Amino acid sequence: MVDKKAQMKIQQTAFVLMAITLFFVLIGIFILVIRFSGLKESATELQEKNAMLLATKLANSPEFSCGEAFGNKKINCVDADKVMMLKENINKYSGFWDVENIEIIKIYPKLENEIICTFENYPECNLISLRSSENSGFSESNFVSLCRKTLINGKISDKCELAKIIVSYKKLQ
Amino acid sequence: MRISKNYRELQKITMINKNKSGQEEMVGFAIIIILVAVIFLVFLGLALNSSKEEIVQSYEVESFIQALLQFTTDCEDNFEYRSVQGLILDCSDGEICLDERDACDVLNSTLKNIIEETWKVGQERPVQGYELIINLEGEEILSLKKGNSTKESKGAKQELGIRDGEIFLTAYS
Repeated sequence: MVDKKAQMKIQQTAFVLMAITLFFVLIGIFILVIRFSGLKESATELQEKNAMLLATKLANSPEFSCGEAFGNKKINCVDADKVMMLKENINKYSGFWDVENIEIIKIYPKLENEIICTFENYPECNLISLRSSENSGFSESNFVSLCRKTLINGKISDKCELAKIIVSYKKLQ
Repeated sequence: MRISKNYRELQKITMINKNKSGQEEMVGFAIIIILVAVIFLVFLGLALNSSKEEIVQSYEVESFIQALLQFTTDCEDNFEYRSVQGLILDCSDGEICLDERDACDVLNSTLKNIIEETWKVGQERPVQGYELIINLEGEEILSLKKGNSTKESKGAKQELGIRDGEIFLTAYS
């Protein structure tokens, strides 16, 4: 009788332990399902963060920065003349920045309409688009000083305007 | 007879006690399950609670100030068209432009126009208000404020690097 009672107790304990273990396993599976269902969103978030970092440091990269062409070394200064030349040679930078498009849009002084910059209308324009692709993803932007050399009263002068550099990424499929 | 009666009573009491201890065990198990479920729900709630993306990032304000200081104004002196940073110093020194406009007036109007164009303020807009303060040698040179101050704000400070000059901009969202 006593042996049977003890066996019953052991069986009961074993069943309880199995039930608790099964319960925690189910919870674990549930958590994993929830975590991995957000994997695509995490990847997109990471891509957005990369775009933001790129937007903040692109102005200071050699392909865009003013360097010492406009007096002392300026921070967040984009050389518009340099960017126009970069636009002509953008195919040589294919895959370099791993982005969909890089645009620089002049904010102030503001023009009535959006005018894409070409060699014919530069600098009477307000949008320099390095690639002519349609922006189908998301973008991050940052303020920059858009500087160029200009002729005023027969003298070469520096002219800096307020602009935004926009980095566009394609959304993950 | 008496002995068997007592034995039967004893058996009865033992059965009742067994049922009670079985019930107690079931209640205990149920309490554990409920506690674990509540803890799990709390963690699930925290994990699923996604953070709101901030409307204005602090790096944007910082970059804006840097770009703003480099902006070329239409105030000319004997050498060049003054940047905003140069105009701040001219304003402090009581200088005037070549066309006899007061440097402080030009500075005020230029900054007001730029900021109103860039940080559009309104109830239906992401930015609810802004505040710009420029100090030089411990004295407030210029202060521009528009809209409402809210709890959520992003700000930045930039040292001018000369004459204890500093510029603060706070954007409220």
